[in-house]
Amino acid sequence: MSTETINGGTTAAATRTGADDAWAGGTGLPFALGYGTNGFTDHSLPVALELLAEQGYDAVALTLGHPHLDPFADDLDARLRDLRSRLDELGLRVVVETGTRFLLDPRRKHRPTLVDEHADARVDFLRRAVDVARALDAECVSFFSGVLPEGVSAGAGWERLTRRLPAVVEHARASGVVLSLEPEPGMLVETVADALRLRAALGDPDCLRLTVDIGHCVVVEPGGVRGALLQAGDLLANVQLDDMRPHAHEHLPFGEGVVDLPLALATLAELDFRGVAAVELPRHSFDAPGLAERSLAALRTAWADGAPQRRCAQWVGESAAAISADPSVLARVFASAGRKVGRSPLDPDVDPAGVLHGTADDRARAELILRLGDTLAPADLSAALQELYTRGDSAERRGVLRGLGALAGAGRTLDDAVVDAGLAVTADALRTNETSLVAAAVGPFAAAHLDQHAWRHAVLKLVFMGVGLEAVAGLRDRADAELARMAEDFAAERRAAGRPVPADLDLIRRADARPAARTTSS
Amino acid sequence: MRIFDPHIHMTSRTTGDYEAMYAAGVRALVEPAFWLGQPRTSVGSFIDYFDALLGWERFRAAQFGIRHHATIALNPKEANDPRCVPVLDELPRYLVKEGVVAVGEIGYDSMTPAEDTAFSRQLELAREYELPVMVHTPHREKLAGTHRTLDVVRESGIAPETVLVDHLNETNIGIVKDAGAWMGFSIYPDTKMDEDRMVALLQQYGTERILVNSAADWGRSDPLKTRRTADAMLAAGFSDDDVDQVLWRNPVEFYGQSGQLILDPIPGFDAAGHPDPAAGFEGNSVLRGARV
Repeated sequence: MSTETINGGTTAAATRTGADDAWAGGTGLPFALGYGTNGFTDHSLPVALELLAEQGYDAVALTLGHPHLDPFADDLDARLRDLRSRLDELGLRVVVETGTRFLLDPRRKHRPTLVDEHADARVDFLRRAVDVARALDAECVSFFSGVLPEGVSAGAGWERLTRRLPAVVEHARASGVVLSLEPEPGMLVETVADALRLRAALGDPDCLRLTVDIGHCVVVEPGGVRGALLQAGDLLANVQLDDMRPHAHEHLPFGEGVVDLPLALATLAELDFRGVAAVELPRHSFDAPGLAERSLAALRTAWADGAPQRRCAQWVGESAAAISADPSVLARVFASAGRKVGRSPLDPDVDPAGVLHGTADDRARAELILRLGDTLAPADLSAALQELYTRGDSAERRGVLRGLGALAGAGRTLDDAVVDAGLAVTADALRTNETSLVAAAVGPFAAAHLDQHAWRHAVLKLVFMGVGLEAVAGLRDRADAELARMAEDFAAERRAAGRPVPADLDLIRRADARPAARTTSS
Repeated sequence: MRIFDPHIHMTSRTTGDYEAMYAAGVRALVEPAFWLGQPRTSVGSFIDYFDALLGWERFRAAQFGIRHHATIALNPKEANDPRCVPVLDELPRYLVKEGVVAVGEIGYDSMTPAEDTAFSRQLELAREYELPVMVHTPHREKLAGTHRTLDVVRESGIAPETVLVDHLNETNIGIVKDAGAWMGFSIYPDTKMDEDRMVALLQQYGTERILVNSAADWGRSDPLKTRRTADAMLAAGFSDDDVDQVLWRNPVEFYGQSGQLILDPIPGFDAAGHPDPAAGFEGNSVLRGARV
């Protein structure tokens, strides 16, 4: 592999001009869709490759070891030459995966790992994987840290990682190969944040990048799939695609878990990811051809479904750039969101008017505010929020309120000035009788910062206006006996008038076992 | 029958009017910024008014299945009050907002130098923000005022097809038509125009570039005059297509030049326009169960 690939994203971006067609492959996506050979263990490698190419995949994630490619074979060089020419014939890109279960120790899965007491076999294997990747001109070698052995502290494991990896990294650098560290649930490096920390501890070597498995994200990543991908950002070198349920590290076919696939693919496009994203279903070889076909269909559908998200991301990106070049355009840009990204409800089946969960323009404005939260000083952000709200029409005001929700929900601590501005505009919105404004004002920001009295009145107001309490963030946590009493009184008033009692009242009347909650939240 | 009322001041009307308008076929309207009967004394008063047009009034209209748009301007009458004139500096931020489909109402009331200044300045804003212009013609000195209006428009260099000259009658329709601008007619119970005279003008001048509005406000006026004119047209032998052109396609074409019209049906009101009792509105849907 040539050294220019070490630069990963930047080189890819620089060289894609004129190469778009070749890179887009058969799927029409800006990145390559692949399938992992560990999901084809009942097929020989040549047959598996042929099937994938025939179905329309543009890449393959090749797991070294049984049964497809023995990295310790005597005639390895010849096999790699044959494989490379076969990949060329089929037009497949390739990444090298190293998650083979029993390659190094026939009795203990994945052992030894980089965090075990003795790891020479693992280090040698990784160096060999780098050699294989170089011979195959593969885009990266993906690897994981390992599960801490019993009795070993995280600190000791960390020391082992930082002691052993430099040699592998140096070998990769000298070979012009990208190493891609994959966080795995249950392993010492479990999240993207862990991986970034390790990379920093190693001196941020350019040839050490990240693999993200989108299924893992719903299990371990605090920011979910989108948050994890954005956090990896330019360092993302490799992606694994699968579905998963929270609380269970089990790779599932698309549609069987909770992964938001359209959002994941749209986020990859937003990051201008140009690498390989490969389906990872290592326990489904029994139905490999069928799953490969259905997976590709699901990916194509998800890509199409993600069009509004991609439009949103594009608008946010362009807007953020325009604002950073000239802050005076903020108000005008903010006002234009609906015209650029549309105004459709985000969850049309349950919320046809977009009151409860917002609209496409709400989301775009909220994302833009989240972006401003990264770039503006707190005092400037506070002033901008107040200005955009006060001088905004109803849609812009909703956007500010939902942006506050995004800021509060992103897990960051908000500066007092931002909280003050947020409380001021929230109070204003709660005084209105516009359902969509009141609904947008009871999101995560209100849940975290609004005082209990105002919060109770906001909730009851929604019921009064006939707006569903799904709009309220943190309803269960903050509902208290006083709110239950208010709800009961409201129900009594309705009954006295012979009018129907809204069913949502039950959601807050049930909280009566709870003692009155704190009177202020901050 | 679908009706677009291109000029009506809903801020001054009741929910009963909205219901009656919806029943009569009104699905979209434009509310031009104007004076409130009681003169304003400050810029802040304009700001609250503009915000109400783009906020509360739009919300209110939507509750009745009607798409609400606005035009924004300093009106000619209040252009004469120096306490109000600085609102001109606030206009740009409103002209970029959603559903703001023109600069208006501008033009003349008493044809003073202050009105000249505000008129010209706002024509410039319309050019800068690429919006059509909605021009009010004076109640007194209408013909002279219309001549002067057309002169100012011509001198401004603004394209005549982006200009709507409103409150016309038999005396000034000809010069507006010749100027290439759009012709607006306000149908009133006993002033301005009535529906039969309107039909006569349509017979004489044709249906192109003509808009019919109720201009209903806080005075004696009738928000259903659009429908009554449509009925009068049909009674006089105009076709359904003629009615659709005057009462829907013409205003859509004129205000559509702003790129700011939003005409898709409001959720809860189906495409045919009748309220869908199963859907409700704004979260008040069947999904919100209720028990007695």
